Amino acid sequence: MDDQVASRIEVKALSLSYGSEVVLDALSLPIPSGQITVLAGPNGCGKSTLLRAIRRLHAPQSGQVLLDAEDIAKLNGKALGRRIGLLAQSPSAPQDMTVEELVRLGRYPHQAMMQPWGAGDNAAVAAAMAGTGVADMRQRRIGSLSGGQLQRAWIAMVLAQETDVICLDEPVNHLDMAHQLDCLELVTRLNKEQGRTIVLVLHDLNLAARYADQLVFVANGKVRERGAPEAMMRSDLIEEVFNVTAEIIIDPVHKRPICIPHRRG
Amino acid sequence: MSDLAIARRRMMTGPATIAVLAVLAVFVILFLAGVGFGSTWIPLDTVTSVLLGGGERTDRLVVLQLRLPRVLAAAIAGGAIAYAGYLLQRITRNELASPGVLGVVDGAALGVVLFLAIFSNESNALTVPVAWQPLAAALGAMTAIALVFLLAGRQASSAIRLILFGIAIAAVAKALTTIFMLIGPIYQAAQAARWLAGAVNTINWSEVQIMLTVLVPVGIVAGIAARHLPPADLDDVSSRSIGLNLPVYRIIMFLLAALLTAGAVAFAGGVGFVGLIAPHMARLLVGRGRVAGVVMSILLGAIILMGADLLIRVAFAPLEVPAGTVTAIIGAPYFLYLLMRKDSTNG
Repeated sequence: MDDQVASRIEVKALSLSYGSEVVLDALSLPIPSGQITVLAGPNGCGKSTLLRAIRRLHAPQSGQVLLDAEDIAKLNGKALGRRIGLLAQSPSAPQDMTVEELVRLGRYPHQAMMQPWGAGDNAAVAAAMAGTGVADMRQRRIGSLSGGQLQRAWIAMVLAQETDVICLDEPVNHLDMAHQLDCLELVTRLNKEQGRTIVLVLHDLNLAARYADQLVFVANGKVRERGAPEAMMRSDLIEEVFNVTAEIIIDPVHKRPICIPHRRG
Repeated sequence: MSDLAIARRRMMTGPATIAVLAVLAVFVILFLAGVGFGSTWIPLDTVTSVLLGGGERTDRLVVLQLRLPRVLAAAIAGGAIAYAGYLLQRITRNELASPGVLGVVDGAALGVVLFLAIFSNESNALTVPVAWQPLAAALGAMTAIALVFLLAGRQASSAIRLILFGIAIAAVAKALTTIFMLIGPIYQAAQAARWLAGAVNTINWSEVQIMLTVLVPVGIVAGIAARHLPPADLDDVSSRSIGLNLPVYRIIMFLLAALLTAGAVAFAGGVGFVGLIAPHMARLLVGRGRVAGVVMSILLGAIILMGADLLIRVAFAPLEVPAGTVTAIIGAPYFLYLLMRKDSTNG
């Protein structure tokens, strides 16, 4: 992987535990600017915790996360909310909240006591809803949306934050195939057209390999290996990290490696 | 029209505003009726003219010295507890949360009973100014909510856990209250038991004044703090990732709700369920809007307690049944209804 690309985020020797259980163990990871980084790994490997730690939702025991060479521990919550957006794994909002109300919440980190809401906020909300195709359902209530619509509304909320970095924690988990593709194509567009730095946690290794610029395998609270999907999708590495033996072939449509797991290793 | 103008219009007109105005009208009628009704009926137009500075001397005396403090106290206490309930239901994202369920009402009551027990002399007279009573209530209320919070520990974001610990703390506070009532010398002991059940009939002007001195500033601070309630509607991870310091904000809102409750309970006693019903009904009537929700909750809380007080004066006179018993009789089935409905929808 070409490390000459400037790292917007640099995770440095980050250690984090819940009680006696070590979740992240002196983990280090550069996250290149303007690329899509996908975190993958077996259940409980610490990838979601890592994602949340990048947004400072967990306090590490040691180590730091640098954002443009600045320790995020020194930023206040709203300042960080203007620079890193995060879509939670299973976000929830009141059922009777409208889509527009939800998206407007994305402007919260930009609001201050004395100047609550301005033209810039309206523009950001409008752009976020247009970009995710939820503009025509702005008055719909959250409880009346389908899974795919709901996910787009939440992504619109994160987009309205206008952050350069967007983290998404398993954004396609509860979606059917068509909506999985919709969602990841949307994320790719945000990256390619707007140059946003994207960090994704994905369970599906083949989707990970298709959309990642940098693919990161997390195991036992450490980065096992990272690199371009072509370099990462090796049967020996997958067997070691995911505990399955797998055949790797090149997807004839996207020319990306895909893996066909065939038994527990 | 700009989005801002749309937002402003949505806040100020439409069904929410009409509902607020309708409830405001009920509030005014009930207020005047509450002042007018008593051993002698004073017509509403006379009440109005007295309130506007006119009227005969006897009418002025009855209205201003005897009736008004009682009705005002019911309105203020009901409104304050409902306001506290609104804040608690929003911050816990649970419509079962209320000052009563979370142990705050009984904590405040315990604070007052301890205060009366400690600062009474042998002739059952208070040895310190009565103005300290809200402070005792506040200490009790904040101790109760702090204990609920500490017991819930890492799961303080789980409304159900908070409610379960709240119910437990309320039971302990109630038991301790009973013990101190039995063993302590209590100032105005005869009144204490009735006060505990929520009674506004003995309140005088100076106590109304103390209530307002405590509640107005707390209410204003709570109104300002409530501006951050919308992001807190989201789950913990989402609200924190848009920059709200939810753990701290949650504690601030709990403390403000405890103070509002204490200000009401200090003189009006343990009025149950107002803080549960009023904000819930407000939400049914005006939806999610924050300003309309707060105003509606306060109005409904005032209406419920004034209505309960009026009802007991009509139905039980000359017996003075505590207003809190009426609110509890209406409130308990309402609570059960919410509980069962929640059960059937959320599993």
